[in-house]
Formats: sequence, C-alpha cells, structure tokens
Amino acid sequence: MSRHRLLAALATLLMATVFAEPALAHAGSLGAVSRSAPVPSWLVTASGAGAVGASFLFTSLLTNRDVVERIPHLGGSVPAVGSLLGRTIPAIGSLLGQIARWSVVAALPLVVVVGVIGPDTPAANLLTLSVWVVFWAGYTATTYAVGNTWPALNPWRTLASLSPVDSRPLPERVGSWPSVVGLLALVAFEVLSPVAADPRLLAAAVVGYSLVTVAGAVAFGDAWFERVDPVARTFALYGRFAPIRRTKSGLDVGLPGAGLARESTVYDPDDVAFVVAIVWVTTFDGLVSTVAWERATAAVTAVGVSTPTVALVGLLGGFGCFLGGYWLAARAVRRTAPTYVTTRYLAGWFAPALVPIAAGYHFAHFVGYLTGFAPTIAAVAVAPLAPPSSLAVLSPPGWFGVVQLLAIVGGHVLAVWVAHARAFHLFAGRVQPIRSQYPFAAVAVWYTTVSLWIVAQPIVAGVA
Amino acid sequence: MSEPPLTPETSLPERDGDAAVCPYCRRPFVTERQRALHVGERHDATPSEERTYEDAREDESDELFRLHLKIVFAVGLLYAASVVAGVVAFSLPG
Repeated sequence: MSRHRLLAALATLLMATVFAEPALAHAGSLGAVSRSAPVPSWLVTASGAGAVGASFLFTSLLTNRDVVERIPHLGGSVPAVGSLLGRTIPAIGSLLGQIARWSVVAALPLVVVVGVIGPDTPAANLLTLSVWVVFWAGYTATTYAVGNTWPALNPWRTLASLSPVDSRPLPERVGSWPSVVGLLALVAFEVLSPVAADPRLLAAAVVGYSLVTVAGAVAFGDAWFERVDPVARTFALYGRFAPIRRTKSGLDVGLPGAGLARESTVYDPDDVAFVVAIVWVTTFDGLVSTVAWERATAAVTAVGVSTPTVALVGLLGGFGCFLGGYWLAARAVRRTAPTYVTTRYLAGWFAPALVPIAAGYHFAHFVGYLTGFAPTIAAVAVAPLAPPSSLAVLSPPGWFGVVQLLAIVGGHVLAVWVAHARAFHLFAGRVQPIRSQYPFAAVAVWYTTVSLWIVAQPIVAGVA
Repeated sequence: MSEPPLTPETSLPERDGDAAVCPYCRRPFVTERQRALHVGERHDATPSEERTYEDAREDESDELFRLHLKIVFAVGLLYAASVVAGVVAFSLPG
C-alpha cells in the first residue's frame, strides 16, 4: 500500500498548489482598485472551470469504498422539535405549528393589498420586495441551507386543507411533467411580462397563482404539490440537499448534499427534466439581467424578431440544449464505464447530483439582493403605505464577487462528490465508478464555464 | 420518482449475447472482472467466487494505479496550464 500513500502525499501537495492558484487570482481582483492590471474575467472563468476539473480529479483518487460510503452517513438523527414538544405538552407542539401556518396565510392577503394600494415604485413596494427578495431570494435560500419547511408553511396547502371535498387521484400517466411546464411557464411570465416593475400586475399574478393552486390542491390533494406545483417541487428538491431533512421518525442532520448521495431513488425522465429545468432557469434568470443579453436581444430584434420570441427561444432552447447534453452524457457513460445499464436509468440515477449546482447558483445570484435590499425592506415594512422617499440599498463590497464565484464552484464540487458517491453505489470495484464519471465531469466543467461567464457579466440595474 | 429495483435496468447490444451475468441477481456485465467484483462485494460469495474476486481485485489494483498516475499527470497539466494562464493574464496590458 506504500505506493498509494505516495500518491496520496503527491495529491495533497498538488491540491494545495492548484487550489492556491485561483485564490491568488482573486487576491489580484481584490486589489483591482490599487493595481493597474485587474484580473481579466476569462481568467476567473478558467480558474473556476479548472477548480471543478481538479475537484473531479482529486475525487477520483478517493477509491476506498468504505470511506466513500461512510461520508454521506456522517451526522445523526434527532426527533422532530414538534413531536418532542408534543410529547411533553401535547398542545404546544401543534399550537406553534398552527400559529406559524396561519400567520403565513394571514400575511398573504395583507401583502397583496399593500401591493395594490402601496407606492408604484417596485423598490418601495412591499409586495415586490416580499415576493422577490424575502420569498424568492431569502426563503428559497433557507430551503437548501437549513431544511425544507415549505410543506408546513405553504399557505395554499393550509387553505386547501380546509376543503370538505374529497380529492381525486391525479392521473399517473401525466407523471410530474405538469411541474416542468409550470416552472418554465412561471419563468417565461417573469421574464416576458413587466411583472417585476409593476406591483399591480404582480398582485394580480399572486392572486391568480393562489386561485389555481388552491383549486388544484382541493381537487388533487397533496399530489398537486408533489407533481404539479413548481414552487413546492423546487423547495422539495432543495430540501433533499439541505443539512436538515425530515424523515418518518424525526429529523436527519448531516452534511449538505449527503441526502442526495444517500437516497436510493432513481429519477424518472420527467423528474430529470425538472431538475435540469431548475438548474437552467436559475442560470437563465441571471442571464437575462446581463448587459450582454440585452445587447443580443437588441441586435436580434433589429432584424424584426419580437423580444418575447427571443426570450422564449432562449429559455426553451437553453433548456433543450442542457437536457440533451445531460442525456448524451448519460449515454456516453455506457461506453466509458463500460456498462449495460440503460441510458434512462443512468440519467435518473445521477440526476440528484445536479441539485447542488442549482443551489450554488441560486446563492450566487440572489444572496446579493437579500443583503442589499435588507435595509429597504426594514424601512418599507415599518411604513408600507408611505415609505420614506429615499431608501437605502446596500451595494455589494468588492469581495462579493469572490463569494459568488465560490458558491458556484462549491455547488459544482459538491455535485462531483454526490455523483462520485452514487457511482460507487451503482457500480462494483473502483475503476468502473471513476470511468463512469468522465462524461458528467465534462458536463460539470462546461456548465461552470457558462455560469461563471454569466456571473462575470455586468448586470442591468433593477430589483429582479 | 421510483424506488430502484434490486438490479438496475440494463440493455444489451444485439451482438453481445454472451455477457457475463451475475448468478445471484441476473445483472449482465461487460467484463468477467466486473461480474467477479460485483459478486464479491454485493452477494454472499462461495469460496471459489471469493478467490475469483480476490484475483479480480488484484488485477483492478494494477489498473487503478495506472489510472491514478494518469490523474496525477492531468492535475500537473492543469496546474501548469493555470500558471501559464495567470502569467499571460497579468502580463497583458491594461
């Protein structure tokens, strides 16, 4: 085993140097103000892609099956807080839950009304700030950083639970395709309509979404939130990544992403499409707010194509390309591993590894909004109908770009680890699991490059 | 999302009718070595299967060492490339 020890020592040394390289580059960009030569964005992109590639290479050196299988099982289980309280004082556990649940239900119409009668400026309107900053940036971040609390808090689920009507089963053959369509439709609506700039339209959209969701949940029960509602499904997927996960007996506390590495589910093609859609729409959301996208749209519209068409083609085309690329990678695994396992099974087996990429990208893109608009939200929440005329928005400090970059690279590195653990679960021996990861590593490096390029672009100012 | 069946879904190309098949779970493998490793790791192997497993593992260790050497070489290349990229980036005007 001495040669393995030698390899390990060599690897550690190289790891230290390779990872030092991007860090040096950022140190350079930090000093951009005082230096005459700032780090060009292509170097940042290349360093990020290199770091993901390096993480794949280093992960490949870890071939001790016991270690690979033990890491995702680090951590422990605790009984749920609700049931703990419930056991000692039966009323308190459920009472706390009910209070939280109904406060969200009560807050929803209040915020919508404020959105209608409040100020026109989106950055001073409580509804716009609540939907984009508090809910979509802040709350979503808690679903992957802490745990998925949405099934307990979801106000539309609470309302639908009051219905005396018995729900009917959702047809099996539609699978979870409705949620894929729903997610793409929501993002298309967000990008194509002036909903981010018009609080009245946003209020109408929230009311419309509420009506559809409550009606759907009354008709089909919880199946609606499991297979149709894109918001609940997104949170459920992020919750699988989170360090705290709900199980039948209580709560599982472990490493982030460990749940994804451990779960022995195979995603069906509709679920694979949904995971890919989440990753892609999060990226697309960032892409449309870049100056580069605005210029490209302007160039294409100059030859007579309408703006909505460009955005729709971008959204659906990008989704198609990414899904196709992922599927091709899964097919290539059959050759590189080599294995007789079907492409469909391979695509479904490795799909959970995509969730950390989406979480990392969400963090990189939205945590800036959350911290930037925090003082604005505080000021507007105190006086929602007559907010102060000058609202403070914090601009991110210079090092914030490094945090964004680390989040994206970190998401991809976790994805590589999750896929590595799943490969060891599916294949026997030590060489075959590593070989099976070549195509996915290529996809991860390529996608890091795309994501970092988007993050490095200058952004058009605005709330959403 | 469906629970995994005991063995993953597999499909064999037409010409490979004589794939190595696990005697316990009927899962087909591309090479004999894959099957031996699978039987040794996942099933209660008989003494003779245990010996085949040990041989396969030894054989795999050699291949793994060569693979790891290639990986370390790739890491070295990546490192060199990033150094060159850094030098180029910092020596560009502006």
